[in-house]
Amino acid sequence: MKIDTFSYDNKVVRAFAIATVIWGIVGMLAGLLAAVELFFPGANLNLQYITFGRLRPLHTNAVIFAFVGNGMFMGIYYSLQRLCKARIFNDTLSWINFWGWQAIIVSAAITLPLGLTTSKEYAELEWPIDIAITIVWVAFAINVFGTIFKRREKHLYVAIWFYISTVITVAILHIVNSLEMPAGPFKSYPIYAGVQDALVQWWYGHNAVAFFLTTPFLGLMYYFLPKAANRPVFSYRLSIIHFWALIFIYIWAGPHHLLYTALPDWAQSLGMVFSVMLVAPSWGGMLNGLLTLRGVWDKVRQDPMLKFMVVALTAYGMATLEGPMLSIKSVNSLSHYTDWTIAHVHTGALGWNGFIIFSMLYYLFPRLYRTELYSLKLANWHFWLGLMGIMFYVVPMYWSGITQGLMWKQFTPEGFLQYPNFLETVLQLIPMHRLRAVGGSLYIVGVLIGAYNLYRTARQGNFEPETQAQAPAREEVVVVGEKGHRWLESKAGLLSVLAAVAVLIGGLVEIIPMFVIKNNVPTISSVKPYTPLEVLGRDIYIREGCVGCHSQMIRPFRSETERYGEYSKAGEFVYDHPFLWGSKRTGPDLHRIGRKYPDAWHYNHMDDPRSTSPGSIMPRYPWLLTQKLDTSSLPARLRVLRKLGVPYPDGYESLALGDLRKQSTNIVTNLKIGMVKAEPDREIIALIAYLQRLGTDIKSGKPQADADPIPANTTALNR
Amino acid sequence: MIQNVLGSSEGIALYGIASVCLFFFVFGSALLWSLLLKSSFLKSMESLPLSDGEIGNSEEGEARHE
Repeated sequence: MKIDTFSYDNKVVRAFAIATVIWGIVGMLAGLLAAVELFFPGANLNLQYITFGRLRPLHTNAVIFAFVGNGMFMGIYYSLQRLCKARIFNDTLSWINFWGWQAIIVSAAITLPLGLTTSKEYAELEWPIDIAITIVWVAFAINVFGTIFKRREKHLYVAIWFYISTVITVAILHIVNSLEMPAGPFKSYPIYAGVQDALVQWWYGHNAVAFFLTTPFLGLMYYFLPKAANRPVFSYRLSIIHFWALIFIYIWAGPHHLLYTALPDWAQSLGMVFSVMLVAPSWGGMLNGLLTLRGVWDKVRQDPMLKFMVVALTAYGMATLEGPMLSIKSVNSLSHYTDWTIAHVHTGALGWNGFIIFSMLYYLFPRLYRTELYSLKLANWHFWLGLMGIMFYVVPMYWSGITQGLMWKQFTPEGFLQYPNFLETVLQLIPMHRLRAVGGSLYIVGVLIGAYNLYRTARQGNFEPETQAQAPAREEVVVVGEKGHRWLESKAGLLSVLAAVAVLIGGLVEIIPMFVIKNNVPTISSVKPYTPLEVLGRDIYIREGCVGCHSQMIRPFRSETERYGEYSKAGEFVYDHPFLWGSKRTGPDLHRIGRKYPDAWHYNHMDDPRSTSPGSIMPRYPWLLTQKLDTSSLPARLRVLRKLGVPYPDGYESLALGDLRKQSTNIVTNLKIGMVKAEPDREIIALIAYLQRLGTDIKSGKPQADADPIPANTTALNR
Repeated sequence: MIQNVLGSSEGIALYGIASVCLFFFVFGSALLWSLLLKSSFLKSMESLPLSDGEIGNSEEGEARHE
């Protein structure tokens, strides 16, 4: 038998490991500052770059793509080589992957505080960065498949299937959701509008959780857990069922982010059913992991790596039980838009992703540096602080979420809203927000201790850039006469195609009808495109990240129509590129805010929210009052919007500026009535124009015959 | 509104039924497949990550990590 001697590359693994730790600390600190701003609104020091609206996407992107992303690459580059018994396909591609990814992170860290954002959650980065992500991902994909094709192991271990499905699905999701038309170097509009944009976005958003935060880490769990416990996985059969059921079901569940919105009811129900089914494969995977430790639980007492892994799996189990529960429409009607969602995602982020990454780091550092872990005691401190941090984070958020959900829905015996002032429900939550920041701080202190421990481990050891290995040569492991799944596993290409088909079916079934309806939705005839001033105002709304705290989607519940007005109709959003429905109400819904308050109220409110709403936790926006409105890009923006289907007449660009000035002058006159003296060429004027337009199209004039008088699901009205 | 439109447009009812059927087909196939696998093969797959070919490190896992 011919035996090959070769080496595994450890250098790129180490690079990703260091990046993971550094970006983890950065991303979590950004989160902590954002948390503090929610009870101390002055914490941004009146700087526009770190208001909550701009900081939140920075935090989510840093944690998801920088911390978890680097952690994922670290684990895959380490385990894939060893599972394939082959060096990584191409070292140059490894480094393109590494440095390209870091460059993307840095550009995100620069553009997001500048307000350059698409506003679509977890896909906020603008089009040049989207292209860079595609290129780097292709480099990663070539490396993964290249390594698989030159492997010296006949069969693909289950971890590798999870990696393959990750590579393929993330590529599909990223490309489909990022289809946008540039209207400037860092400005674009998505090709979808309204309901379609919402559906595509949450098909993406949900599956980013599935295929970026879940499947790669399940694969890593299937590798690192047996390695650390030094025993095989509990059931390989279960892992096969786990894999196929999970990737098939996950992709269908996206619409559970849009329950009771203007999304068609059948799509909501389909999303709900598949979300509930999702608990089965998720728990199958969790149990497969935990049961791997049967007989060696004593190791969990001593090995911090296993401690972190066990908590990670438990958090995964809790989050994947809670997720399906939150997807049930009746539960969702209470939980949606509240802090409950925040608690849910942080069980996943801090517990599952965070702890599994620390588990891998504690496993890898001693091995990469050929030494022992510097301090067991510090690792235990990290573990307990992290665990306490998670508890102090999620419990107050559950409390806060349920409290606020109930307060929104509470009626007096006379049939009036018990808490008609939204602010009342916000002030009730402040103590919980403070406790959340305590939880976050504990977690971060733990991470800092962990980082120090890993640093000292590296210092005391000697880094091994290459690990020598031996295995039977590739010719020796050629597959002959295999059948069934064994045969499939040996065919990486076919397995990839089948995995792609499995994930595509769900997406297609949900998305295709959305594009079919484009032609037969009875448009609401009174819904008109935004005026030039409103287009620019809307873009300021997007820039400031208002969508992070304010929804624009009134659900058909009595508690919502009483508070906000008429519930939102799908036909009202046909010109919304992008949709701005939002997913969290830290502040009230704004879909019917138009003409509710005079212009001067908005002016004063944006200058200092506490002058009109005492106790408000919204940050001040004084720069909107002084910054000049940039109208130079207006023609390009209108042109792109027309190309995307917004019916601006041909050549309107030349008239647009005149219309813009006229509308500005009107607003300045209105402001004068409200004792406010303002220049017509400031950003605040555009924002006021947009806010005053919101939701007014169906208020004006006579009721439209085709304007959807009754929703199909009328029972919802009695809620 | 859209619900009504979709309700009346052709083939929509089929989506839900087809989706669930498809799921049971995929789930059933995976189940069948996994049950048909020989235990000798499963054993070799299970132990795959435990031997990574590293020279002088074949029994690793127990000793070094804390």
